[in-house]
Amino acid sequence: MPLLLGSYAPDMMSKWFVYGIHIGGWDLKASDPVQFHRGWPGLGFTHSLLYGVVIALLFWRVLGSKTWAVSFLIGEWAHAITDTGDTVGTMLFFPWTVHIHFGAWAYAGQTGRMTDAAAYFSGPGAVWDLVWIVFGIFSWRVLTRSYFEQHVFTADAFWGRANRVVPIAVLLIAYRAAFFYGTCRWIAWSLWAHVVHHYPYDISWGGPHWVNAAHSPPLTWPQLLGIGAIIGAGLAIVFTSRLEFGKKSWAAIRSKT
Amino acid sequence: MPSKRQLTVAAGYVAAAAVYIAVGVWFTDFLLSFFVALAYLLLVVWLVPAGVRRIF
Repeated sequence: MPLLLGSYAPDMMSKWFVYGIHIGGWDLKASDPVQFHRGWPGLGFTHSLLYGVVIALLFWRVLGSKTWAVSFLIGEWAHAITDTGDTVGTMLFFPWTVHIHFGAWAYAGQTGRMTDAAAYFSGPGAVWDLVWIVFGIFSWRVLTRSYFEQHVFTADAFWGRANRVVPIAVLLIAYRAAFFYGTCRWIAWSLWAHVVHHYPYDISWGGPHWVNAAHSPPLTWPQLLGIGAIIGAGLAIVFTSRLEFGKKSWAAIRSKT
Repeated sequence: MPSKRQLTVAAGYVAAAAVYIAVGVWFTDFLLSFFVALAYLLLVVWLVPAGVRRIF
């Protein structure tokens, strides 16, 4: 559950305002949806690695659960990193406000929910989603009751506590619901876009090019060097931590023998 | 390979998915929220079968 929460976290509070909603006689929508969604000033920091770390630390501190903290972090980082795939990208290293973007598929959130959906499910973004759906289908064993009971239920005290209120059949459905939702959503939007409305596919890089996509400016060489330095520093920290962890584990083993 | 029971369960979810997709294509607001999908699944995969078993 915290993994799912983390993966939804970046868009949870912002996407409705990016697309806009109509309440009574009021239209509520960001005047600059792209800036609001991914930029600063705006809520673009929700798509940064730091945001995931802060919320994860809050989970650890407030809930006292390292499982929830780490799981949330993985989910949030997965969303933030994969959103670098579109033409706007994310401020992955916020408070550094440079947008990391690969431009593989068109960002069209500013065009509204329906055109954005038509564009996303006509381009490389939909192919990227399909890769994960196929991966999920090939990993069907993780969706079985036995896997849930043996590996998922036992790994997080949340499930045990929830089981006091609802039967395990309900928990199993909740566990499976994310894959069900993601897969059905992909199929439904694809049918809507290409069978009902006949939007053309364009899976070329940066596509579909028939939509008015938003773009972040290209990264400059100093920015690329800065990104490289940050990634290098991160890898160095991980490598050094593993070395230290290895030493401590060996010392612990030797002290027991 | 999945067991017969597992395939039966999967078939139930596929049937639920077919209905969910049909509704979603016709009324796209239905696709907006994970929580709507969760509520739908709880209804068709748990509550309705439980109700049918109780009646019959």
